[in-house]
Parts: sequence; C-alpha cells; structure tokens
Amino acid sequence: MDIRMAGVTKVFDQDIVALEDVHLSVDSGEFLYLVGTTGSGKTTLLRILSREYIATRGQVTVGDRNLRKIGRSELPFYRREVGVVFQDFKLLSDLSALENVSFALEAMGLPPRIVQNRANEVIDQVGLWRRRFLKPPQLSGGEQQRVAIARAMASSPSVFLADEPTGNLDIRTSEEIMKLLLSINAAGTTVLVATHDRNMVDAYRQRLVELHNGRIRRDERRGRYLLDDEL
Amino acid sequence: MTSFRYALRDTFRLLFRHWGLSLLTLVTAASVLYILGFTGLFSLNLRQMISRVEGGLVVQVFMKKGQNADPVVALVKTMPTVTSAAAVSPEQALEKLRAKLGNQARAVTLLGENPLPWSVEVQVGRAEQIAPLVRDLIAVPEVEEVLYSGKLVERLTTISRAATTASGTILVLAAIISTLVIFNTIRIAIYSRREEIEVMLLVGATRTYISLPFVIQGTLLGAGGALLAIAGIWGTYASIMNAVRTSLPFLDIIVDRRTLLQFFLLLFATGATLGWVCSWLAVSRFISRASRAK
Repeated sequence: MDIRMAGVTKVFDQDIVALEDVHLSVDSGEFLYLVGTTGSGKTTLLRILSREYIATRGQVTVGDRNLRKIGRSELPFYRREVGVVFQDFKLLSDLSALENVSFALEAMGLPPRIVQNRANEVIDQVGLWRRRFLKPPQLSGGEQQRVAIARAMASSPSVFLADEPTGNLDIRTSEEIMKLLLSINAAGTTVLVATHDRNMVDAYRQRLVELHNGRIRRDERRGRYLLDDEL
Repeated sequence: MTSFRYALRDTFRLLFRHWGLSLLTLVTAASVLYILGFTGLFSLNLRQMISRVEGGLVVQVFMKKGQNADPVVALVKTMPTVTSAAAVSPEQALEKLRAKLGNQARAVTLLGENPLPWSVEVQVGRAEQIAPLVRDLIAVPEVEEVLYSGKLVERLTTISRAATTASGTILVLAAIISTLVIFNTIRIAIYSRREEIEVMLLVGATRTYISLPFVIQGTLLGAGGALLAIAGIWGTYASIMNAVRTSLPFLDIIVDRRTLLQFFLLLFATGATLGWVCSWLAVSRFISRASRAK
C-alpha cells in the first residue's frame, strides 16, 4: 500500500507544533527511514499513520483510505493492515511470547487452528522458537523487540511501522532486527522505520527522510545519516 | 462463533487471573443486592399489610324505603376501583342483626314489620379510593345514606401514601447506590486491564471482541452476587418469619413460597442485568476514551 501525506500539520495542546506542512509520498513496497533528533516529529508521523493521532490539517491517505474519514467500525480493519512495532513494545507481561502473537490474531476472529499455525510460523521467523513459552520479563530487550515484530507481522500487513526498533539494543541484535525488517520489506510490505541509529541507517542504505522541528529537511533515495554539523 | 469462544475463554481468564478484583466485585455486588433485596422485601411486606387492612374496609350504602339495591349494584359494577359489591335484602339484614344481638335477638320481634331497607356492601382495594366512591354513591337519588369509617379511611390513606412514597424512595435510592457501586467496582476491574485493552485496540480488535469478556464477566459476577444476596436474605428472612410467628402472630408478613420465589427470581435477574449493564457501560466508556484519536 502506498502512503500519501499532503500538507500535514499536527498541533497538540498549548500550541505545540509536532509536524508542520509535511508532504510525503511513499510507494507501495518501499523502505523508508525517518530520522531526526528527539522531538523532531518522527513518532507523531508514525502515530498519524497508525491512526492514533489525527492530523490537525492536511490529508493522509494509506492505500485508498483517507485516514480522517475512517469510522469507528472501520478502524480495527485498517489497523490489521498496518503492523506497528511500538517504541515501548507494548507486550502483555503475563502472556508468553507465543500468546502475545496469538492474541493479536485472535483479536481478528481467526479460528484457533489458523491462529496457532500462523503464530508458530512468525515466532519461528523472528528466531524465537525455543523461547516461545517465555514471558516478556524473562526475555532480553532484543527478544522482546522480536516478539513485537512478530506480533506486527502476524496479520501480514501491507504497511509496517516501526518506532525505534533498534533503540537500546547492541549492534549484533540491532543487525538481526534490521535484517528482519528488510525481509518483511522484501516480501512486498511498505516499511517505515523511525530511528536515530546511525550505524544501521548507514549500514543498510535505503530512502531516508529527515525531520527537523516537525518539517521535512531531507528526502534522499539512499541517504546517509548526517548530524547537524555535517549538513 | 470463534470470537464467542475466545470471549468465553477470556472471561474465565479475567475471572481467575485477577481473582482478587473478581472477589471484590462479587462481594460488593452481593452486599448491595442484599440491601436492595431486603429493602424490596420490606416494601412488599409493608404494602401487603396495608392492603390487607384497606381491603377489609366496607362502605355500606342504604337505599330509600321501598327501593331495591339494583341502581347501586348496576353503578358500582361499572367502577374499576370496586373489588366487590353485595346486595343485602331487608330479610338478610334482619338475620344479621339477630345474629349480632345474640341473647337479645328476641327484641327484634318487638319491631313488628321489618323496618330495615335494602343495602349494598361495597369494598375497594385502596383506602384512598373510598372518598370518590362515597361522593358518587351519595349522588344516586335512590340512596338514603352511605356509611363508612371516615377517620380510619383518612388515616389509612395517609399511612398508605407515606409508606408507598417512603418505600419507593428507599428502593430507588438503594437501586441507584447499587448501580453506582457495582459500576465503579467493574470500572476499577476494567481500569486494571487498561494496558491490555489499549494493545487490543492497537492490533485491530473490534469493540465487541474487547467488550464481550468484560460484559460476560460483569453479568456472571452480578448474577453470582445476587445468588449470594438471595442466600443471605433467605437466611435472615426465615429467622424473621419464625420470630414473627411466635411473638407477633397477628402481623401479616409474606410467607407464601411462590411469592418469595418470584421475588428472588426478580432479584437474580436484577443482579445479572445490573452486572451486564454496568460492565457494558464501563467498558464502552473506557474503549471510547482509549480509541479516541488525539
């Protein structure tokens, strides 16, 4: 699914402008890094796409859906098409890794057999087969991240959004996560990754959009991560 | 069907995983339903006692000499408030008089010709219905006199009205308090799972899918609370019945098992409905807030 943002502005209470006049087009199957300093608007942009936020001004379409016009009953179905990996994982601590994934599939009303097969499949894909019965507090940060990715992948979404997927992870684990995200993209899914992990961006060059104070400062095909003094 | 199966499984997960909160809700529901049920039972008993007294009130309508009771009988038959009307012939009236006089019954023969007129004994369901009835009867040209216990009727009317208002108010208050307490307890239970609900919303669960386990849980806890309350009320009421039978046998309290069974069924249905409505309201409000885009 493609993503189109035209003149998108997001203003929070007390006139805090998180995004200002953002124009962004992401084609179906594209991989895009959203980079920028803390507070530059990366998470706000992802949250607008996952429909947690609504843009104050401007238009956002994902596929053929105008996000402003998505009704209450249609929202769950939209969210199943958009897999999200949250910055804080949002895993349920009293469910095992496998149950965290199954839970998302059950929420779609799928029959138990399909849920079981699909959950096993994605848990295996993210390399957690042997750790599948452990609960999040028993898993490392990288493993929790992988559970979150598996849960987001489970519904085979057309768009995949990941907020700081390698934040606080060591280089080796970060590389594994990045490879996982690239494999999801290779299957035809549009992937947007908000990050300030310079190593990963430079190691796996993709389209790069840099946000600065809520505005797009750079949009490069195979961009490098540049610090302010390098620009 | 699959979603319903998941909902049932999640209901039991909810009940047992957060067993402390479930127990709190159950005990709270049982306590407030006990108070509500007892208030209801007290109101019913009060209403029955007053009804019995009111039902015993008789209005006597005496016809003019030479007139029979037909015009009055025809009139009262059209009145919906009248529960019974019996015409008394002069001969029957004389017999009644003789029976009343007992040993002095022979004195009646001194009267010679039977001087008693036709009369009608009219009964109504409620004391407050007597005054308008008397007004209508006096207006009938064939009626000579209407006798009834005016003061008693007035006092009963006042007591009846006060009792109805008081028991109604207490019942409504008890119902409101029960609803609020159950609603808030369920809300706390839902709030303790806010994280789970938020994640469910974010991964694309429908509102029905999220709400169903909470609503089933609320209904079960409401119904369970009602069962406990019924057991408690039955225990207390049974000892009250025994005490009344021994010490105050003239007090006409409800002992009919059928009436009590109907009352308890109503209380059970109230508990289940309260649990259902409160949990539905609480979870719907929570989901609406959580899913509102910022």
